[in-house]
Amino acid sequence: MDNALYVGLSRQMVLKREMDIVANNIANADTNGFKFESLMTKETPARPASTSQGPNPVRFVTAAGVARDFSQGNLRRTDGALDLAVDGAGFFKVTTKAGERFTRDGHFRTDETGRVVTQAGAVVADEGGGEINIDPTKAGEITISPDGVVSQGSERIGKIGVFTFASLSALEKTGDNLYQNASNQPATATTDAKIRQGMLESSNVNPIVQITRMIEVNRAYESVTQMMGAQSALSRDSIARLGKLQ
Amino acid sequence: MQALRTAATGMAAQQMNVEVISNNIANMNTVGFKKQRAEFQDLLYQTVAQAGAQSSDQGTIVPTGVQIGAGVKTGSVYRIGTQGAMTATGNQYDLAISGRGYFQVLTPSGDLAYTRAGNLSTNDQGQLVTQDGYQVQPAISIPPNAVQVAISPSGQVQVTQPGSPIPSVIGQLELASFTNEGGLSLQGGNLLKETAASGAATTGTPGNQGFGTLLQGYTEASNVDPVTEITSLIVAQRAYEMNSKVISTADNMLGVANQVKT
Repeated sequence: MDNALYVGLSRQMVLKREMDIVANNIANADTNGFKFESLMTKETPARPASTSQGPNPVRFVTAAGVARDFSQGNLRRTDGALDLAVDGAGFFKVTTKAGERFTRDGHFRTDETGRVVTQAGAVVADEGGGEINIDPTKAGEITISPDGVVSQGSERIGKIGVFTFASLSALEKTGDNLYQNASNQPATATTDAKIRQGMLESSNVNPIVQITRMIEVNRAYESVTQMMGAQSALSRDSIARLGKLQ
Repeated sequence: MQALRTAATGMAAQQMNVEVISNNIANMNTVGFKKQRAEFQDLLYQTVAQAGAQSSDQGTIVPTGVQIGAGVKTGSVYRIGTQGAMTATGNQYDLAISGRGYFQVLTPSGDLAYTRAGNLSTNDQGQLVTQDGYQVQPAISIPPNAVQVAISPSGQVQVTQPGSPIPSVIGQLELASFTNEGGLSLQGGNLLKETAASGAATTGTPGNQGFGTLLQGYTEASNVDPVTEITSLIVAQRAYEMNSKVISTADNMLGVANQVKT
């Protein structure tokens, strides 16, 4: 008869995890290129005590995975020459100390040798995986066309690479707005997405949806806790009454 | 409960955002000031279930993992170096840079500092100095009997002296530029200093390739746009409020959990 308590506990654990995810979404409502997440749950059957008892009706709830919504965030004008936004599906590829990473945050700069890098100094890859170098001694504005061609004045100096994956679910977040390719599927260069210069992609978190979800989680947590309280009272009462009958 | 700490990082980030915005608004009328923007990044993720892990002996894999984020941090506070508007002052020692470059200034410590604030003056020896009295490099001395001082777009300083109808050239101003201007460190007093991230300064004559031109009688206004700043302030305030709501909700959930056993 403790099953109800344990089923309630599994629900509480899932709700707490979901609350953590909602809190992370809200904390990142202003993070460039952030994609919001939600928790997917699944029912998990409890192991029957013995096969002779027939079908076991008890099902627990457990976290099945995090669904990441890769829909486009709003593009915000910043006018920075190296502020780039991907309009469409795809990621910039950068090389960090820890290896190859992918990002939607196109807030780039040049380093002391003129390479195009992220704010943290990871080198941004061109379409073939090489570097893009800007010569600071030369005149001419940096312009980046929608297909990613970088020109300094009238001279072409490289092309920003945009990469896609067959399945985005294998991407893992590593923090710092970066994703790691956790599977062995290859990243393929794409020309479908457009690059917008002087723009940054805002987070795609919709605050109203997140606050509503938070209220739902809170109320669901309260109701399951109330159910557990009732269950606990039932056990207590039955123990007290059985005690009296003796 | 992770949600409490996550929301706290969100509040800290938005507080930093408000600090940066308030500095921009405070410097709305500072000559040569460049606005700053705080950019955020997500923090580390705790992997609860690994995507791509084997889920059976038949080689099936877990399609999506469970990763719980720990919140947000300030990734960078960077300067936006767009050109500020030219303000006519009529003062012959006011110089605005149109395009790339910085004036070089000798600080009392003997180091060079760099500035876009070209509201210059002369000191008691006739040397061209900033409002703090720091000498502009290369040093320019204006003769005490100069009637008029003319500074050309390419930085040539000419003075007209009594008894001579032809102006004479007394010096040449130079500008410095950097590979990564964002890497310069702010010193206050409108000054910036070179760092390892900015790369070494390249000096050159104004108007040459990679350098802007000078405009005498003008100063460069700050590039702060009040409307954008106020809008950012509203967004930051609302984001701060939302994070505080998360804290109170998480607190409520903990309170509810405490009441199970009555």
